[in-house]
Amino acid sequence: MTVRVIDKHGVRKLVEKLQQEAKVVAPHRREGRDQWSFQEVTDPDLICLEYTTSCLPPKEFAFPPRETLLRYQREPEFAAEAVIQSEPIILFGVHPCDIYALESLDIAYCADHGDPNWIARRQQMRLVGVDCIPDEWCFCAAMGTATVDSGYDLFLNNLGDGSYLVEVGTEAGEEMLEGIELREASAEEIAHVKKRLTQRVKQERKINDETRNLPLHFSGKAQSEVWEKHAERCYSCGTCVLVCPTCYCFDVVDEVALTLKEGTRERIWDGCMLESFAEVASGENFREERAQRLRHRHFRKYAYLFTKYGRPFCCGCGRCVRQCLVHIDPVAIINDLIAESKGGVSRGA
Amino acid sequence: MALELCQCDMESDLYVPRPAQVVAVEPQTPMETLVRFKFPDGADLGHKPGQFVQIFIPGIGEAPISVCSAPNAECTFDLTVRKLGDVTGALHRLQPGDTVGIRGPFGNGFDMEALQGYDLVIVGGGIGLVPLRSVIQYVADHRADYANVHLLYGFKSPVEQMYVDELAQWQADCDMDVRLTIDKPHDAWDGHVGVITTLFPDLTIVPPRTYALVVGPPIMYQFVITECRLKGLADDHIIMSLERRMRCGVGKCGHCQINSKYVCMDGPVFTFSDVKHLWEAI
Repeated sequence: MTVRVIDKHGVRKLVEKLQQEAKVVAPHRREGRDQWSFQEVTDPDLICLEYTTSCLPPKEFAFPPRETLLRYQREPEFAAEAVIQSEPIILFGVHPCDIYALESLDIAYCADHGDPNWIARRQQMRLVGVDCIPDEWCFCAAMGTATVDSGYDLFLNNLGDGSYLVEVGTEAGEEMLEGIELREASAEEIAHVKKRLTQRVKQERKINDETRNLPLHFSGKAQSEVWEKHAERCYSCGTCVLVCPTCYCFDVVDEVALTLKEGTRERIWDGCMLESFAEVASGENFREERAQRLRHRHFRKYAYLFTKYGRPFCCGCGRCVRQCLVHIDPVAIINDLIAESKGGVSRGA
Repeated sequence: MALELCQCDMESDLYVPRPAQVVAVEPQTPMETLVRFKFPDGADLGHKPGQFVQIFIPGIGEAPISVCSAPNAECTFDLTVRKLGDVTGALHRLQPGDTVGIRGPFGNGFDMEALQGYDLVIVGGGIGLVPLRSVIQYVADHRADYANVHLLYGFKSPVEQMYVDELAQWQADCDMDVRLTIDKPHDAWDGHVGVITTLFPDLTIVPPRTYALVVGPPIMYQFVITECRLKGLADDHIIMSLERRMRCGVGKCGHCQINSKYVCMDGPVFTFSDVKHLWEAI
């Protein structure tokens, strides 16, 4: 297959075409700030494809912060029905790390019992990836997520002049391109993209071992001083969980209509860094201390789920450390653990 | 689309409770009440001893509760709940004829077939006896399949004793060695006094052919497990059922996680050898 290029005009045409077919969501700059958020496209010119990282990951379009799972009536007799809402949606301009995260949650939400709400939304979702601009916090290369080879229908590689080299990931991606003017890529353009991708994996923020060895460095580290050292500054605010593309824990709450005759059950995002998360009915809290919660979160991402599903449940986007009030840094934590494994002295966060 | 999404069977009714009707309410103590349920269409819950359900009180909420009865011909199932929160408080107000929602059964339950032919030491502390009642009833129903059965049950004071008639019946009619103890002396009690571990010295067990089934408050486990090990029981012969907060019951919401284990999927029944290396377990 020839490698093709879509120019600035073509990208606009593509977005307009996709808008006819589905709700299109893309990164937009927040007014007056160097911050980006995924929003429904109203004017294709407002899309910003060159961005570092969005504040919130696009996870919310498959797993909303709050969603109805169930509708029920109490009278005349109890009856309940599932609420599974989904609509055709296209995420346009998603970075490799976030694509990796969505695929990770596909694995988790399909394992054992297939979560109907997640699956219904993801089945109606198409995805156009775009390569990213690293910032001072991200560490995708350390997680092996600087590039992805699946999880997208189309992928756009920036050629620097407003045009993009197009990779087609699926048949749906090929269909997206029908009627859009493309041209063949030149050898220089292909070389340019290859060079860019090679640079991408040479990030400064590194972990001091191979990604696949992460679970080994967590093994036997439950009592490590690393946890207390880093948790000492933690406010238990839960921001790290809120902004994480691979966190998928939730709480369930009941909403009753004022008539008391009917109601809904809603799930809302929840997080293991919050104090009440592991509390049981008798009042016992199995992770009462900040360090216990920090430890659990990191064990979960780099050891438990890694071992269970064969990939780190961290995409290296750096949102947790970027948005943390005190910048508690998983890279520093991991490198401290690695230093401990190697018997070295930890040099601080 | 990711491979997982194409191959995965979506369970549309994963979070939908089935209506079940209250057929009987039997208060046990001032704090604990037993409620018996039946599905209107007569369907069996299809549970194993030690499994739990998510019970939904419309308008109040949902809570994970152990099924405390063995499967039976009437296709009823019992839940015994302590009045603690909103849902359990509402459960205490249920009357025969009321309808609730049930999801499940969930969890692994006790492997009763694997225990066949063995002596059983069943140790219940307080409301820890609740999930064990499903095991005891099951053993009573299949008494010939099991060898010696000891039941040790400890509670704070006489008024907190649950299943009074059944305990007498298990002792008298089911060839079970039932031993009760209360924590502190009480005027209305002439039986054994002392925490549950004080029942162990008089107990004679043959370790290779004995399994201990232990359920109680978190503080109890380390003491009872120590007693079991002192009696010579191997770690994989000590079986327990653990409690955690749960929201989904199907391995998604994350609340019940003990290290890498999900209590709702991998448990709630674990052997001590399963969990002894998990620092969050007990």
